[in-house]
Amino acid sequence: MKTYDAIIIGAGHNGLVSAAYLAKAGKQVLVLESRAIPGGTLVTEEFDGFMADMVQSGNLCPDIIRNLKLARFGLKPKPVSEIPAFISLLPDSDILVLESDPVKAAESIKRFSPKDAARWPDFLTFMEKATKFLESAYDTLMPRLPKVSLSEGYSLAELALDLRLAGRKNMLNIIRVIPMTAVEFLEEWFESEQLKAAVASVGIHGVTLGVMSAGTTFNLIHNWLNRGGLAHQYLGRAGQVTDALVAAAEAYGAEMRLSAEVTSIKIEDNQAAGVVLKDGEEISAQTVLSSADPKRTFLTLVGPMELSPTFVWHTQSIKMRGSVAKLHLGLKSLPDGMAADTTYTIAPALNYLERAYDAAKYGQISEKPYLEVTTSENVISIHFQYAPYKLKQGAWNDKRDTLEKLAVDTLAVHFPELQSSIVKSKLLTPADLETTYSLTEGDLNHGQIMLDQFMFMRPIPGWSNHKTPIDGLYLCGSGVHAGGGISGASGRNAAKVVSKEI
Amino acid sequence: MIQLLHTPFHERTELLCQPKNWRRWAGYLVAGSYEMSLDREYWAIRNTAALIDVSPLMKYLITGVDAALLLNRVVTRDIDKLQVGQVYYTGWCDEDGKMIDDGTLSRLDETTYRLTSAEPSLRWLTMNAVGLELEITEITDSMAALSLQGPNSSSVLNRCCDNPVDEIKYFRLMHNELDGIPISISRTGYTGDLGYEIWIDAKDALPVWDALIAAGHDFGILPVGILAMDMARVEAGLFMIESDYTSSDHAWIKAQQSSPFELGLGWTVNLDKPGYFVGRPALAREQREGSTWKLMGLEVEWDGLEALFKDVGLPPQILSMAIRASLPVRSGKKQIGYVSTATWSPLLKKYIALAHLQKPYFEPGTNLRMEVTVQHHRQYAPARVVTLPFYEPEWKKR
Ligand SMILES: Cc1cc2nc3c(=O)[nH]c(=O)nc-3n(C[C@H](O)[C@H](O)[C@H](O)COP(=O)(O)OP(=O)(O)OC[C@H]3O[C@@H](n4cnc5c(N)ncnc54)[C@H](O)[C@@H]3O)c2cc1C
Repeated sequence: MKTYDAIIIGAGHNGLVSAAYLAKAGKQVLVLESRAIPGGTLVTEEFDGFMADMVQSGNLCPDIIRNLKLARFGLKPKPVSEIPAFISLLPDSDILVLESDPVKAAESIKRFSPKDAARWPDFLTFMEKATKFLESAYDTLMPRLPKVSLSEGYSLAELALDLRLAGRKNMLNIIRVIPMTAVEFLEEWFESEQLKAAVASVGIHGVTLGVMSAGTTFNLIHNWLNRGGLAHQYLGRAGQVTDALVAAAEAYGAEMRLSAEVTSIKIEDNQAAGVVLKDGEEISAQTVLSSADPKRTFLTLVGPMELSPTFVWHTQSIKMRGSVAKLHLGLKSLPDGMAADTTYTIAPALNYLERAYDAAKYGQISEKPYLEVTTSENVISIHFQYAPYKLKQGAWNDKRDTLEKLAVDTLAVHFPELQSSIVKSKLLTPADLETTYSLTEGDLNHGQIMLDQFMFMRPIPGWSNHKTPIDGLYLCGSGVHAGGGISGASGRNAAKVVSKEI
Repeated sequence: MIQLLHTPFHERTELLCQPKNWRRWAGYLVAGSYEMSLDREYWAIRNTAALIDVSPLMKYLITGVDAALLLNRVVTRDIDKLQVGQVYYTGWCDEDGKMIDDGTLSRLDETTYRLTSAEPSLRWLTMNAVGLELEITEITDSMAALSLQGPNSSSVLNRCCDNPVDEIKYFRLMHNELDGIPISISRTGYTGDLGYEIWIDAKDALPVWDALIAAGHDFGILPVGILAMDMARVEAGLFMIESDYTSSDHAWIKAQQSSPFELGLGWTVNLDKPGYFVGRPALAREQREGSTWKLMGLEVEWDGLEALFKDVGLPPQILSMAIRASLPVRSGKKQIGYVSTATWSPLLKKYIALAHLQKPYFEPGTNLRMEVTVQHHRQYAPARVVTLPFYEPEWKKR
């Protein structure tokens, strides 16, 4: 029987990044994926003849693209001039067009507030500095507080230096704004309701928080970093990014098995010993990396009996609470006025967004939802917030029509022809995200991106350095520090930690 | 207003308790003693039969196919070896291998266990039961408990129970009936003597009490409070939570915590059982590296004690009850440990103590000195380290 240096659970983008790094370093790596296609949520999937991207953006960290030589496997970042606009759809057929070119964006903002238009370039500069800082943080292993080892202390000092290099004023400002609500933060910059709401929507994207919740400024910076700005940037279609990662990992010698669900991680004397697959097959390895979310990894695959009660309790307490539904619409053609490869947001006012969130607090579907819509030639994909995983009343299967109608009606206000051009649709409720994509509680990011679950507290305090209480078991997915969203950072960091130890 | 609870026997004990020296035990009122002096109660334990209300013990019923999995995870002993009808004494630890609590665990049937504890344990048990198929029910209030201790205790039970108790071996239990009332009897106790604990539905408490008192008349039965029991348990080398060790749940600092090895419970730590249990890694380490503390017996040397008192013109003055106080223990001028409970032993005619001693001073036979107060002055009396228990009658386990 073949032996492996490391088994990686999950062929999401993070699992694939880890696999490629480890294989490139000469390790024998096996990736096991429960679905029949690789990519996790970074996939382009067919429904009734239409091809839909599950996620809007498929950005990877520039150093990952470089180090894994992904250009050779077909990935090339697009030139800045091709980055699409981020368009806010407003009542009465009005729109705010935030082009990636700051001069053009300022033109559009001017109609709403000349003062805001003048501040726009400074705002972009600030966001640039803030995202740079976050990028360094995501490239730094977080210490196990309160004990900081010498090497951890060194990289932390480097991080502090990065922060310092942003300039003293900016440094204090970045630290100051991180815990703020998106509303408070944006009110310091702008006066136009339309502009504030459009930008604030990125601060609540993917989380079960409202624009008036603490820490949504952090989520704004986090999403801004992963997207590369407001609009979603494309390295290609989601599936193309995954294809390149698979090709790279395999070229470096990693093996991948699809339709191979891991049902448990074998543990002997507190040491990882391999995995057991659904059909009973056992595969041995002293090192196992899991890109399944931390709750699933520990409570299902490892099992609470192997872990200390406090650790189990902390794991149970990780906040998952997804509240996103995804609706793909296959069209005869895009409705009039809608452009392909563009990001639209329905976020007309701050109160509108906060009220949409109110529903989620009470386990209800937003009557007036916040939507983010991405388009291709004949498919539009609607990211719908809020659709809470735990409904106060009823089951998700009975709510499909309600949700679909709400989404389509909300968007059709701006594109009256939409209704008539729909050929097919595909809805993914939070329950579907859980069953099909193994996202516990439908949480996109394997754990909410919030202040008490970030940096050295992701996934739980003391365990953000990819290690786990089980020797030889590591976390490499979105649920650990540097993760959440598409970037590959946590997969890369995990591989670095693991290659030092095996 | 906070009100201490009455045990199911309160209607009887309230009338019997002459000194009204009620003690608090886990939120309940219990009699310190029934008479003005402890003598007769102490001697009932050692010579006849003592009836002690131990209802305040926390009690939990754990039922289900995974009950053994939970208990194996929580306690340090190997539960797979516990047979139906058997009782284990065991401690349980936190993740650092420090004692949280201790109690008895009885296997009532294939999948049902009863655990007693001193402190509320429902949260800890529940926290450890994630993903397990079982039910944990607290039965502290609904189950009354009596401890019948002393060499005549089996005779008392034989007189009033449907089935003789002679067949119950040490740390085993049986179901029995008394005047038509179903009871469970375990051969356990906290005195180091022959003795039984009787587990009764709270609603049947009073008739069982009355029947035992009646049946015990010819055997010298006496209601006994917890103060006399405290003396007996020191003789038996049995420690008590909060006076002899601090639950790691309540410790403010690490130095206040104790491991089972340090308390002399190494024999209850089954590192040979398979799989994880709480505290295992730390306990394995401590077993490998050895412990720095150990709970031992200390016997004060009478001549030395007498000399200290003689200096001020007094005969030795020792309280005739257990003292739950911390007393420094020295080797030369250096403090190397402390006594947590000391008592006059009427049976051994010795001043004895449970002492926590640092390595290497815990070896039996080591000569040390223990603090005594002589006419308001702190003095040190010579004392010798001995193994526990101080007293173990041959009929305890027979
Ligand atoms: C609808 C939606 C919209 C999103 N929008 C964005 C966005 O706009 N921007 C952004 O940055 N991020 C977005 N995200 C979040 C982002 O996709 C995730 O955070 C990221 O993909 C997680 O990557 P991953 O590799 O860590 O995990 P995943 O992509 O979840 O991959 C984990 C893989 O492990 C597999 N797996 C799980 N359990 C097992 C098992 N037991 N055995 C074998 N395999 C197993 C799964 O099938 C999956 O393939 C979105 C997510 C969703 C669902």
